[in-house]
Amino acid sequence: MVRVRLNLPSSEGRVARWLVAFMTLGFVALAAAAIAIGWITVRNRTYTAEILHTQDVRQAVATLHSQMEQSETARRGYILTGMPLFSAAYARSAGNLAPSIATLRRLTADNPAQIARLDLIEPRFVRLRALRAQSMALAASGRIAEAQRRFAVDASVPLMRGIRYRLQAMAADEVRLLAIRSARQQQTSALFLSVAGLAAALLLVVAILAILVIRRYTADLATSRDSLRDLNETLEEQVTERTADLSRANEEIQRFAYIVSHDLRSPLVNVMGFTAELSTAAGPLAELVDRAEAEAPHILTEDARLAAREDLPEAIGFIRTSTQKMDRLINAILKLSREGRRTIAPEPVDLAQMVDTIIGSIQHVIDDRGAVVRVERPIPAVVTDRLALEQILSNLIENATKYLKPGRPGEIVVTGHKERNRVILSVIDNGRGIDPRDHQRVFDLFRRSGAQDQPGEGIGLAHVRALAYRLGGTIDVQSTLGDGATFRLNLPTELSIQDIKA
Amino acid sequence: MNQHQTVGIVMIEDDEGHARLIEKNIRRAGILNDIKHFTDGTTALDFLFNAVDGPAKSGPAMILLDLNLPDMSGTDILARIKAEGSPLKRTPVVVLTTTDDKVEIERCYDLGCNVYITKPVNYESFAQAIRQLGLFLSVIQVPDAE
Repeated sequence: MVRVRLNLPSSEGRVARWLVAFMTLGFVALAAAAIAIGWITVRNRTYTAEILHTQDVRQAVATLHSQMEQSETARRGYILTGMPLFSAAYARSAGNLAPSIATLRRLTADNPAQIARLDLIEPRFVRLRALRAQSMALAASGRIAEAQRRFAVDASVPLMRGIRYRLQAMAADEVRLLAIRSARQQQTSALFLSVAGLAAALLLVVAILAILVIRRYTADLATSRDSLRDLNETLEEQVTERTADLSRANEEIQRFAYIVSHDLRSPLVNVMGFTAELSTAAGPLAELVDRAEAEAPHILTEDARLAAREDLPEAIGFIRTSTQKMDRLINAILKLSREGRRTIAPEPVDLAQMVDTIIGSIQHVIDDRGAVVRVERPIPAVVTDRLALEQILSNLIENATKYLKPGRPGEIVVTGHKERNRVILSVIDNGRGIDPRDHQRVFDLFRRSGAQDQPGEGIGLAHVRALAYRLGGTIDVQSTLGDGATFRLNLPTELSIQDIKA
Repeated sequence: MNQHQTVGIVMIEDDEGHARLIEKNIRRAGILNDIKHFTDGTTALDFLFNAVDGPAKSGPAMILLDLNLPDMSGTDILARIKAEGSPLKRTPVVVLTTTDDKVEIERCYDLGCNVYITKPVNYESFAQAIRQLGLFLSVIQVPDAE
């Protein structure tokens, strides 16, 4: 007994579950990482924009500052030298002041603190411009000395100091903001890195686990495949071995049946022989009793008369019928065992024609019993032993016409169809049927079912089954009591020599 | 029948009942030849080949042989009798047995058996067969021992 354990399904299921779990986990991790990275990128862009904005603001503050200083330098140069070069430089840089302030106001619109500072700076610029315009006008009209004197006393220097101070404050504020925003951006970058790193690590872990699982799965598969291959390789051997065992057992049974039936015959010859002798011997005795009764009735006892005329013939009669029956049974066993030893010769058989022939050969019996046998064509062709199949079918058809339901004319149909590489032949009757209890029993030797009102020894179906087995087939019956029976013969479409040996 | 009086019949049959029935029916056929009965192969062979009054040493005989014997198979005895160089090679052998197996029958004839008869279980047939055998025995010529 070779037992091969294949735990493929459970292992497969477990591996598959793990795989799916890992894949899902991996995808979830990837999705989370992607979302996180996206969010971080958006955040980062915002921060970058803010930083750029801060830089712009710083730039704008610096520009305003330098324009103020440049215009002041130009004014002073003009007042000191009266050179028109300075006047032009002043006009250029002073003209830029107002747009620069507007730009700054626009840039810092989101920052109330800076706006407040600008609100303070702007009136100062207005006053500064007025003072400057005054001194430039004086210088332009040639009164340079007056312009210089006024310059020394007017409020422009303190105004500018105030503006400078506030611009520095604004710049400082922007530097502070820049620091905050840079820090935030760095934080986000760090976060980005760690999230990406985490995702990568997670992916790596998932990948490693998945690879491990797959490797184990593959190893399992390989093991299963190997054991399957081993099993496959030994299967042939096992089948051959079993077949040999079976054939041996079968031969043993055949031989046993043969020997037993033979050895039983020997004593039976004696029993029947000496019974006959006894019967012959009883003749003169009966004559003697007759004569005694006629000539000397007083010597004849009642017992002697009974013994000679009734007991002896009766006993001999019973012994005779019993031994005759035993002889028939032994002959049946012999026939079965002989059938089992007959060589089977497969050949193509036209089933429909065979059934026709069988019907023809027992037509008179069928007619006597008032039955009709019909063949439903077509019946698939089959390659098998002609003689054995003929015996099977004639037995089945004969049985079908034999066990009719009283008062119902027999109607027997023979059909056949193919199921893959098997041919199923059915003999369907409308007879008295077989009790489901007896469905197996009827195929046993000497066993019969239902009312024992028909001659027979219970051999036919046993013979049929033995033959069916020899043809590599099976036979079964479907029936309910009183409602007909269907005997189904299942045969290989092509009986091979290998089937016979098995 | 007188010319056959000297032909002894050797019956090798392990079943006493069968032997008795055979003998009865042979006698009923009117055969009065001496019948020697053996129930096993060993003593039968000893008588056939070695006994002073056995067929090998004196006088013609014919052999009734059953195939199922306790100590050896009837076919072994048949083979010995019909073997090349056996003094009993020409002695008629009637195989009288229950076996009606085709292979067995063929084998017996191959070994040189002269007649093969299956014992019918039905006694009427049995008696009839033996009586016919008796009639047959009354007419056949048996060669003298060499």
